[in-house]
Amino acid sequence: MKSTKKLLSKSVIAGLATVLMPLGLQAAADEAQKMHILYEENCASCHGSDHGGFLAPALNSETLKGRSPTALRSIIMTGSFDTLMPPFYGRLSDDDIRSLVKHLQSTAKLANPAWTIDDIKASIKVYVKDESTLPAKPTYEIDNMDNIIGVAARGKYGRGSGSKAVFINSVSHKQIGEIATGTAAHIIDYNPVNPRWAYVKNDTAEIFKVDLYSMQIVRSVKTGFNGPGQGVSRDGKYIMAGSYVPHNAVILDADTLEPLKTFALEGIDPDGKMVTSDSGMVIGTPFADIFAIALENAGQVWVVDLKDDFPITKITDVGRHLHDAFLTHGGSKLMVASYDDSIVAAIDLKDRKIIKKLEAGCVPHVGGGAAVEVDGRTLGFGTNFGDCDKMVVSVWDLDKMEVVKQVPVAGGTESPAAHANAPYVAVDIISKDRRARTVQLIDKKTLEVVKTLDVGGHAYFPEYSADGKFLYVSAGYSGDEVVVYDSTTLEKVASIAMESPAGIFSHGRVKYMTRGLSPDEMKGAK
Amino acid sequence: MRLIAFSGALMLGLLSAQSINAASIYAGQARAAAVCSQCHGIKTPSADAPFPPLAGRDFAYLKSALEQYRDKTRKSEIMNAIAGSLSDNDISNVAAYYAGLKP
Repeated sequence: MKSTKKLLSKSVIAGLATVLMPLGLQAAADEAQKMHILYEENCASCHGSDHGGFLAPALNSETLKGRSPTALRSIIMTGSFDTLMPPFYGRLSDDDIRSLVKHLQSTAKLANPAWTIDDIKASIKVYVKDESTLPAKPTYEIDNMDNIIGVAARGKYGRGSGSKAVFINSVSHKQIGEIATGTAAHIIDYNPVNPRWAYVKNDTAEIFKVDLYSMQIVRSVKTGFNGPGQGVSRDGKYIMAGSYVPHNAVILDADTLEPLKTFALEGIDPDGKMVTSDSGMVIGTPFADIFAIALENAGQVWVVDLKDDFPITKITDVGRHLHDAFLTHGGSKLMVASYDDSIVAAIDLKDRKIIKKLEAGCVPHVGGGAAVEVDGRTLGFGTNFGDCDKMVVSVWDLDKMEVVKQVPVAGGTESPAAHANAPYVAVDIISKDRRARTVQLIDKKTLEVVKTLDVGGHAYFPEYSADGKFLYVSAGYSGDEVVVYDSTTLEKVASIAMESPAGIFSHGRVKYMTRGLSPDEMKGAK
Repeated sequence: MRLIAFSGALMLGLLSAQSINAASIYAGQARAAAVCSQCHGIKTPSADAPFPPLAGRDFAYLKSALEQYRDKTRKSEIMNAIAGSLSDNDISNVAAYYAGLKP
């Protein structure tokens, strides 16, 4: 009803405008509206629906000031090599591309658009009304649901028929199912209690509740405009999602996807300024009935108790520009990356305070995190991107919370993978040249790089199968395949074709919390 | 028939002068991965893309098409721009690489 009213009033205004505006102005307004729609439908999922950037740079009058329109037009036509930017030649007309460049160079970053709890509620789509009609067990051969590996396939254009979540049996390395996600799938989480449910978040902040037994979407909800943050509570009852646009987070009922509470993300940053904030990582932990969420710009970590009205404990001054995190010690400790301070902050989720800030190396991006037990010590591996003299992966002793070693690697890295049964910690080199094709392997014991795999494409997001026997790597961008290696011999054993694969998420993660820790680590967590 | 004879000759060439041809296919791969695959993909272009697949296409066809695009005897705003910077060697390498791929 409300949206009809909005639409009506919009068309009334448009009608009035037609009457009142001189012809030229009307044409200009129509053109702007057309370009706005073109932008939203082709560019916004990566560049931000507010023109403020997301996976890709911000495109607005400020950031594009002084840039040559011809150069911008040719980037749009051919795409940008060695990035995710696809070629729009043949998809957009030359006139549209020219107008779009003009539009981008004359449009300021938009104000944070509202997406309220009512909008979230109204966005729920139900694909399977009666879940009791779903099969009681998987409709395909699989020994253990933990053997499922989910891959976020972006699709070349970040949207369209190539954008899906693909599920693979990591014993046979065969695809067992896929679901279309409209725009690029980004994050896949699994329900820690009921193995049938997966939650896939895409680049336009829609969350799909997926029935892994029948490989179909059961429900979906749009939680915002973009932002990758998503976590599932240890009891499997709640999902928390955080957005970049708008500066919001929401707790959903994991069963119905109904929004239960929204949170405006704002606070005083470490420099004393009150800011509204993007949502960084959102994480549920086996340690307690809580969510932790990082406020990127406010430099705070909020701990939300899953009771009553979801009260918040705010941990402030964690760092400047927080991003991702991983858990250790039964999920009672959280390691949060702070881009601008080049530190990873260790947070005690029990006492809800900062334990220590550890040196990261460059710009820390811990990805899904990696921690391994070696000779009685729990070691954490911290990947770094950015532009520093020496590119390293930091190794921390997570018991003593101190730096053990900084392992030199070939370039920037953004995602480590480890497994209790695998001898190596894999890190993806993401530097923008031939190195991006490679993944390096660090020996757990010697803490030195022992091998470089030439995977192809833009190789990233390594992940071990739940049994640790196989290493999965996305040959992303134009590589268009997921490559599987034997984790000990490092021989290539399989390839699974899909368009621009990115994040890889093993169902085994629900069992070992952070990749590399043995499931025994979880037993201590209660 | 001529096609078969031709690919036979190419295969023979590959076998007899292994190191040179291995290097050129490798160079072709590097160039293709960096430039061509952006639109045409390695094995297939995107399901949503308006670009033709190249994997497994005839070597001579790929070579002549690239030469024509480079020399602007075949018009395409985008291909004229992209092929414009390719040397004869580049063209042979890329054509050999794509011709040898299984689609």
